[in-house]
Amino acid sequence: MQWLSPLEPQKRHESVRTDRLDSVGNWVLKTNELREWRDMEDGCVEPVLFCCGNPGVGKTFLRWEDLLTGERQCKCH
Amino acid sequence: MIDSLCDQAPGKDIAVVGLYCDFLAQQEQSTISMLGAILKQLIIRGGIPEHIREAFQKAKKEFGGRGLRLPDMVEVLKKTITSLDRVFVCIDALDESAPKHRRELLESLKEIVRVSPNMRILLTGRPHIDCEIAECFSKAVKIPVSPTQDDIKSYLEMKLKSDTAPKAMDAKLWADIMRVIPEKISEV
Repeated sequence: MQWLSPLEPQKRHESVRTDRLDSVGNWVLKTNELREWRDMEDGCVEPVLFCCGNPGVGKTFLRWEDLLTGERQCKCH
Repeated sequence: MIDSLCDQAPGKDIAVVGLYCDFLAQQEQSTISMLGAILKQLIIRGGIPEHIREAFQKAKKEFGGRGLRLPDMVEVLKKTITSLDRVFVCIDALDESAPKHRRELLESLKEIVRVSPNMRILLTGRPHIDCEIAECFSKAVKIPVSPTQDDIKSYLEMKLKSDTAPKAMDAKLWADIMRVIPEKISEV
């Protein structure tokens, strides 16, 4: 595995997960833009989503791994 | 971010993988190592597929080079991603990667997405890299992120509760902090 890449993003993810406050920023995960990007059928949606903001606004600390949880309703197939 | 929440969608093979870019790690965060980190997370989930084993054996025989070259890495990623139902790739703080690597990374992702409609890419970063993203993904959807007043209040409360000098705090100071700071921040 080291052969593929020396980077270990899982470690950073663990510290982000420990330091964050769970309720903060959940509104982003509920936006229509994010829902469409996540749920629409392949090929019907722009594949790239860019969450932009200045340093310190909390982009890193959003609960990205919850992308697929909650009210996920897959419109594919 | 690596959590693959397959159980949320029974019968579907869905992967969520992530990367954090960092100013201080620009040297080691080359295009190839960043793409490699994505690949690594994808295959950790289900054993090493044959096409990756082959690429490894081939690279081992080559003079001086044991690592994959960029075009090979892109090909391996394409094969790996199309073999899954859906793949979410989250790249945090893209603006902190070295400009040269960022460009290559975006170009590589564009190439992978072209043949992998089941892939979704989430990028975060400062607004100024918008035009670089648009060069590769002209229709990328943008969500501006800023904390809400409630976000700031919850965060302040958490910090105040874990204050290491609680004796210095009284009800008035607490109330002042909770009122003034959210107001000031939303003015920024």
